Amino acid sequence: MYNYTNFDKEFVTERAEQFRDQVKRRIDGSLTEDEFRPLRLMNGLYLLLHAYMLRVAIPYGTLNGTQMRTLADVADRWDKGYVHFSTRQNVQFHWPKLQDVPDILGALARVDMHAIQTSGSCIRSVTADHFAGVAADESEDPRPTAELVRQWSTDHPEFAFLPRKFKFAVTGSENDRAVTKFHDIGLKLVRNETGAPGYEVSVGGGLGRTPMIGRVVREFLPRADLLPYMEAILQVYNQIGRRDNKYKARIKITLHENGIEDIRRRVEESFALQRVRFDGVDQDIFARIHADFEPPAYKHASIDAYAEARDSDPLFRSFTDTNVHPHKNSDFAIVTVSLKAHGATPGDASSSQMRILADIAEKWSHDELRVSHEQNIILPDVHKGDLPAVYKELRAAGLATANIGLISDVIACPGMDYCDLATARSINVAQGIAIRFDELKLEHDIGNLKLKISGCINACGHHHVGHIGILGLEKSGVESYQITLGGDGTEQAAIGKIIGPGFKADEIVPAIETLVLEYLELREDSSETFIDTFRRLGPIPFKAALYPPKEKNHAA
Amino acid sequence: MPLENPIPSISQRVTELNNRHRDSDASVVLRDVLGDALFGPIALVSSFGAEAVVLLHMVSEIDKATPIIFIDTEMLFPQTLAYQRKLAEDFGLSDVRRITPSREAVFLRDPDNLMHLADKNSCCALRKTEPLEDALAGFDVWISGRKRFQGGVRAEMALFESEDDKRIKVNPLAHWTREDVADYIAANNLPRHPLVAKGYPSIGCEPCTTPVSSGEDERAGRWRDEEKTECGIHFMNDDKQTPDANVIVNDNGFASDDWNRGYSSFEDIEAAPESQSAALAIDLPNDFDAVKLLPWIDQIDLVRIEFPVFSDGRGFSLAQRLRLLGYHGRLRAKGHLLADQYAMARRSGFDEVEIDQALAARQPEPQWLARADWQARNYQHRFQQSA
Repeated sequence: MYNYTNFDKEFVTERAEQFRDQVKRRIDGSLTEDEFRPLRLMNGLYLLLHAYMLRVAIPYGTLNGTQMRTLADVADRWDKGYVHFSTRQNVQFHWPKLQDVPDILGALARVDMHAIQTSGSCIRSVTADHFAGVAADESEDPRPTAELVRQWSTDHPEFAFLPRKFKFAVTGSENDRAVTKFHDIGLKLVRNETGAPGYEVSVGGGLGRTPMIGRVVREFLPRADLLPYMEAILQVYNQIGRRDNKYKARIKITLHENGIEDIRRRVEESFALQRVRFDGVDQDIFARIHADFEPPAYKHASIDAYAEARDSDPLFRSFTDTNVHPHKNSDFAIVTVSLKAHGATPGDASSSQMRILADIAEKWSHDELRVSHEQNIILPDVHKGDLPAVYKELRAAGLATANIGLISDVIACPGMDYCDLATARSINVAQGIAIRFDELKLEHDIGNLKLKISGCINACGHHHVGHIGILGLEKSGVESYQITLGGDGTEQAAIGKIIGPGFKADEIVPAIETLVLEYLELREDSSETFIDTFRRLGPIPFKAALYPPKEKNHAA
Repeated sequence: MPLENPIPSISQRVTELNNRHRDSDASVVLRDVLGDALFGPIALVSSFGAEAVVLLHMVSEIDKATPIIFIDTEMLFPQTLAYQRKLAEDFGLSDVRRITPSREAVFLRDPDNLMHLADKNSCCALRKTEPLEDALAGFDVWISGRKRFQGGVRAEMALFESEDDKRIKVNPLAHWTREDVADYIAANNLPRHPLVAKGYPSIGCEPCTTPVSSGEDERAGRWRDEEKTECGIHFMNDDKQTPDANVIVNDNGFASDDWNRGYSSFEDIEAAPESQSAALAIDLPNDFDAVKLLPWIDQIDLVRIEFPVFSDGRGFSLAQRLRLLGYHGRLRAKGHLLADQYAMARRSGFDEVEIDQALAARQPEPQWLARADWQARNYQHRFQQSA
């Protein structure tokens, strides 16, 4: 993984000190609250329903054992002993005190971490495929590009006060696990006909109250043109993005209102001016970054223990069936550790669990961990021969839930329990569904099903791209849950469609059960997943199951 | 513990006091103020200048232990310091507090005592306004010797004023005329400031005070040839005071604007029949299309881009675009920018920032200088910099 240079280290240390000074200047009146707000947001500090929330960046979801352990230490010392991993591969502390935040940032800076640009109207912490660099289906590692974008976007003088937030995602695989089509800029690593490396650039994707699929603005952008082209897109957006209405301020609306041809023309015009500023030094830096991501020396050892454990331990077999993904090196495995134990809060981890994950990573996964946007933790480099030992440790820590990709592997936003924007609770719905399907013992039979829950229209729980999406709203003082079907955040990007009237809080779990049981009836065989069945049949049979014709209660 | 009868707000009390004393003589006002326990701690602020002797004498007749705040800017005439000691002794004033600017602030902002040359407002802020504000911290009421006949914003001054609803300011001599002052001094045989006889009817700091010739306004010798008429300590409640010249911020800190040839709008330049040869400065809104400036780009000396609010970042992109299009002249960001944005402004191509006095007071020079190292730790620059 990327090794911080002295430049990076000095930067994050200085930045933490700057924030300490800003807090001081807020208190002495030099900064008004209006002036302080964007400065604290740029340093990851939100004011939520009950308290401040500090969102710490985990760029493209990659961290090492020491960093994970430091997050645990921060949780113990300055918070309530647990953290929440977010849908943007970051980590959130929900109870820090304002006066402690400079010390927290200082502690993080010592292990090359920060909270820079995890919030605010600026370029946000960049995300990437959580299996980057190790997935068998990957054509190119997106992490060097993500790191380049991280560095370029950090404290960018021109783009710190954009019309609205701006999110990047990068993928190097045909199987888009980074939801690139729903980001302000989605980059896909591609090669042109001559084999030269470059990017397919999508712009204007997004979820929120107006979900849109990103449009390709450049089919092939040569690798060396990346930064000037990004400068150009951001410059155009900064100048013509709407600032009169925050709900129309994202670049997806700029693109929608001006049309892709107009945006492309403006971007190319700006790019022509920007290009001359980059004479190749950026590519030298890119090469140095790239070298940091060279694969580790993979050991050659027997994987017999793996086969034996699968034969003898049905629980281990079940775990490896769901939670292990093919690695580039067939002797190795990518292990996803579920933070979705049935009944737990999706994405939460206790400090002791984090320390165990840090230990395991150091011992068995080349000291590397990943955070997925699906709010799970990944051990990317585990030798299959070590898998039984890893599983044993995970199981002892309550971290061996075998449900990755299943219905209980829910993405849920914090909802009304924490968030001041939320209009309904989401965590309890996630817990209710997980517990119900655990009781039914059906979820392995159901197989791959992405269920995503948002507690308000801002869609932090990505419900638009859930195979089943649930949107919690408030209708005349009562929580009401709207179901969408058919969403997909992958390369087959699709926005889920509302299936019908909403359900009350006590009706939503039975409604999901009805839908899923209907799918089991409808599917051709067990290899046809929910989304495939939906694509084959459309919404009508599901709608009929959810909203049966009313019987006449009062016969004439 | 909640009070049964809530104390009226300061502005309510001020209205009431002005009503009560509308016909009172200065000494009556002073006796009432100094004798009323309800007023809380009171201080007389005195310059020990040309006419200060009047109030000092009146106060000494009522209560010699009244705290007298004397702001020694460390730039005063030596005669003023001598006069201060003499009056304190003659009148038996037992609590004269000589207030000097904070060592640390002077060290940071004006180590060579030269700030008055470049930026008089900041100098007054450093040496008078800020120390006075600190010195007044424990007082509920302060007494000032300003008079309406001194003109300017003082012409409409009331006897009692509310200072941002946090303190009462009393001007017992508000309605006195020049003759009243002269008569009082003569009648009581009071000693005059030694410089009065040398043609100084109003006395401030040595570098910024000159004698006045006959027929001139008596404050004409203060900050001569400048728009400035008040040091700043009396602005705190003078809403009608027009803001002073804006402050220019560059890598060396605060400065005053050296551009005095005015600004054109883009429409003015477009309408001009032929290209301008004289020095040319242009004001641009932040949504301006930079390309439109291309025909004039080599003729403009100064471009000033408006920042209506600090959170609107369009100006940064406009600056960068102008630079990319080949503008090499002076580039200034004007309006609401934070000290925290200084480095961003410089990196985006601006040379300097123009802020108003209020912002300069709230975010003083050291906060801007803290970001004057804008070239350090610049990720973007590394990608563009050839070895």
